[in-house]
Amino acid sequence: MSKISTGSFSIEELENVQITIGSIVGAIEKKAEDEGEMGPTPKPGISGLRDWDHKLLNRYEPVYTPMCDQCCYCTFGTCDLTGNKEGACGIDMKTHQAREFLLRVITGAAAHAGHGRHLLHHLIETHGADHPIDVGPTNIKAPVIQTVTGIKPETIGDLEPVLDYVEEQLTQLLATIHAGQEGAAIDFESKAMHGGMIDHVGMEVSDIAQISCLGMPKADSEAPLAEIGMGSIDSTKPVLLCIGHNVAGVTYIMDYMEEHDLTDKIELAGLCCTAIDMTRYQMDNGGTPTAKIVGSLAKELKYIRSGIPDVIVVDEQCVRADVLQEAQALSIPVICTNEKIMYGLPNRTKDDVDDILNDLASGKEAGALVLEFEKLGELAPRLVMEVAPIRKEKGITALPTDEEFKELTNKCVHCLVCEMACPMNLPISDAMTAAADGDLTPFEILHDKCIACGRCEQECPKDIDILNVIEKASQKVIREEKGMMRAGRGQVSDPEIREEGVNLVLGTTPGIVAMVGCSNYPDGTKDLYDIAKEMLKRSYIVVVSGCTAMDLGMYKNEEGKTLYEEFSGSFLKGNLLNVGSCVSNSHITATTIKVAAIFAQRNVTGNFEEIADYVTNRVGAVGIAWGAYSQKAASIGTGCTRLGVPVILGPHGSKYRRALIGKPYDSDKWSVYDARNGEELAIPAAPDYLITTVDNAEEIMPMLAKSCIRPTDNNMGRMIKLTHYIELSKKYLGIMPDDWHTFVRTETDLPLAKREELLKILETEHGWEIDWKKKKILSGPTMKFDVSAQPTNLKRLCKEA
Amino acid sequence: MVDTTKNIKMYTTYGTKSAKPVQPKISAKLISKAKRPLLVVSSAVLDEELLKRAVSIAKKTGMQVAATSTSIKGFLNEDVKAKYINIHALATYLGDVNWTGLDGEGHYDLIIVLAHKKYYINQVLSGLKNFTDLTTLSIDRHYLQNASMSFGNLKPEVHLEALDELIENL
Ligand code: SF4
Ligand code: SF4
Ligand code: SF4
Repeated sequence: MSKISTGSFSIEELENVQITIGSIVGAIEKKAEDEGEMGPTPKPGISGLRDWDHKLLNRYEPVYTPMCDQCCYCTFGTCDLTGNKEGACGIDMKTHQAREFLLRVITGAAAHAGHGRHLLHHLIETHGADHPIDVGPTNIKAPVIQTVTGIKPETIGDLEPVLDYVEEQLTQLLATIHAGQEGAAIDFESKAMHGGMIDHVGMEVSDIAQISCLGMPKADSEAPLAEIGMGSIDSTKPVLLCIGHNVAGVTYIMDYMEEHDLTDKIELAGLCCTAIDMTRYQMDNGGTPTAKIVGSLAKELKYIRSGIPDVIVVDEQCVRADVLQEAQALSIPVICTNEKIMYGLPNRTKDDVDDILNDLASGKEAGALVLEFEKLGELAPRLVMEVAPIRKEKGITALPTDEEFKELTNKCVHCLVCEMACPMNLPISDAMTAAADGDLTPFEILHDKCIACGRCEQECPKDIDILNVIEKASQKVIREEKGMMRAGRGQVSDPEIREEGVNLVLGTTPGIVAMVGCSNYPDGTKDLYDIAKEMLKRSYIVVVSGCTAMDLGMYKNEEGKTLYEEFSGSFLKGNLLNVGSCVSNSHITATTIKVAAIFAQRNVTGNFEEIADYVTNRVGAVGIAWGAYSQKAASIGTGCTRLGVPVILGPHGSKYRRALIGKPYDSDKWSVYDARNGEELAIPAAPDYLITTVDNAEEIMPMLAKSCIRPTDNNMGRMIKLTHYIELSKKYLGIMPDDWHTFVRTETDLPLAKREELLKILETEHGWEIDWKKKKILSGPTMKFDVSAQPTNLKRLCKEA
Repeated sequence: MVDTTKNIKMYTTYGTKSAKPVQPKISAKLISKAKRPLLVVSSAVLDEELLKRAVSIAKKTGMQVAATSTSIKGFLNEDVKAKYINIHALATYLGDVNWTGLDGEGHYDLIIVLAHKKYYINQVLSGLKNFTDLTTLSIDRHYLQNASMSFGNLKPEVHLEALDELIENL
């Protein structure tokens, strides 16, 4: 087959020739080039943005906290690297840790990209490659894709070359994990950043494809509310439980149920992001989602053990490896629908639906692999209608009876082995004592903190099924677990950015707090609600996605309203936006890109470095992955950091092995250029990390406020941010932060109500000179305030350069 | 006398190097001998019984307290040298020989940890173990493999006894 280069051509005198145009290679990039807007780095390779990474890593140094001191990658090993020793191949501990981190990042990115590829294949097949991308009112349909690759996709077919690029980069990055490749930690770090950025491209492909084809809300601030919580599921109906992250197959189940009048008869429930996307499906014209959300991964084993699900359908990502065994023990048939998880089940894709149905309903087979969605759509609802009455009549559950519960709690010998095996060291033994005495409260408290991993049960010398005991004890609170989640709205629209961009850059909207990620929380789900509520009340924009978006909706105020009902869903100060599932996280980075594009008129096409520089210095945004557990969370977070959005993780996040933390006391690191003349400009040490961890929800509050301080804040903006920083520190830590004065440039930066008091402190404790008559600062600040300064990390953007 | 070295069972391991199990009396000696010890506590210290003991240790030795997380709230009305710092930031600065400490007077020679989430402090200690020459001592109630020296696994009430014994010997 021959390739024709771009341009016009004519073919004459051809007869009986069929011409098929697969894809017009490079056409979109060419168009951008012709329009003169292609930036310097379309589709960067591994080294394409290395200089930018090294700049960031110079200020925010990698801090390594190994999870394992050994390396067993190759047969030279096992090598003990303790104390930063070198292994047999010459790699030292630091570099190996950086390599391990990179592996986490590209694993996460591959999960999203693999998901995206599967989805895109499927949607192109069903909707055609020329199906238009429609994500709501915007001129920049795919901000991340456009910034990274220079491609401006118009149809879902245009997303294919984007994924080609993502896959190539992931292969190149994976190659560097091999023994005998990279030897410098800093370059593994740069590669990790590349992987993180690539991840956001892959996520954006996935989500804009499904938004465009599956009728999901399009930048809809009033997306409908969906029911959530273990208590919201009507267990008297046949319960069909879908677990995973890829909604493609489930949409066929939903369509079949609709067409066969089964929607009201079957309780369709979901766990993890598949659940979120089930509530987005065909909701772009309003309506009420019929699917319900059970919750996050932490609810998976709990819900299966309850015995309530009658049939389980799994797709991909964050699905427990023991779903089949657990389900089988309770006569729950399992249907695998995606090649990523097949559980060793027979492939029934080509079989007749009736045959599969008979084998599963009769219990002859514990499960089936069905990769054809039409068949799945018919099989799952019919199966659940058939098995549910039998299962319900038998009352099958793993939970103990009252009698058994008593026996189990009395059997405990309080050896504490379970507590030491528990990843949270939860106080199980005392709860056993209390329960034996009839007090279930300690177990009810444990229920919310327990992530249902089952590690305790495997160690108990008395063979107590500890998780079942916890769940049995918590039946009352579980019944009350009912909340609401606003269905994922997708992107932030251009008009919204136009309205809010200026407030963000000047600081009068104090910041964006993006709460994302999984359910490995340090202290249960309530923290999320508390954090979001505190920041919303202070007019921060709170953006959520994934498991966080779910768990947040589980709590209500005095009037019985969830945060989604209490706060509106636009991109405006004091609003709460749920962008959607895991892959919707790309809309969060996309929002910061759009601020640069729309508010500041920066060219984004193939221009990542400049945009990242803009975001780093001007957009007060911070990410929280409070319960980050997965490799995907590592890649999402790392993608944010390359763009200049700092990320705070809960304490379990320390197990990712590395953080990026700056040293405020090292003044050399805290300056940028003024783009007007190339002169150096001192900047505040905020954020003083790019990715770090905190111990608990109270500690995070003041950090969030500080993390949104940017060099471009005007006086009003800095005053607002400083007010929140000081107030939150006093409220949650009981102290005045010790660095607050370093953010003061002029007296007008000081909170109005406290100005005199603070001037006094500046004079007495920090030796600043104050003109008390005019209430002005005469000397002291290390930074000047200049409203027209143009902070940049890039010398090439400076006029003199 | 409490034996704090009996139970050092681990359920997961970081590798071949493990903290030396240590008795309260020896711990007290180590602390007393150190020139610039630093007591690093976390939010679990807000438990009344633990706080009492942490304050006693700080008072008796006059050592600096790095009050990480919300633990600072416990020291506000106490006559001890306590300062809030985020623990991941602290772990970073401890690895920098140019850092002059929480009081600006120089680096530390012994890091004592108490009242932390086990999994979290083990990560911090892992960083210090692998990339610094600092000696770290855990007087927490879990055996912390990544410290240089550590109490073994203790029941809460035994842990308090062990701390009392340590305080007595300071
Ligand atoms: S990759 Fe290097 S450090 Fe790892 S086992 Fe092989 S030789 Fe040892
Ligand atoms: S391991 Fe078993 S016997 Fe021991 S405390 Fe836990 S529940 Fe009780
Ligand atoms: S199932 Fe719950 S209690 Fe048991 S080890 Fe896991 S988190 Fe701890």
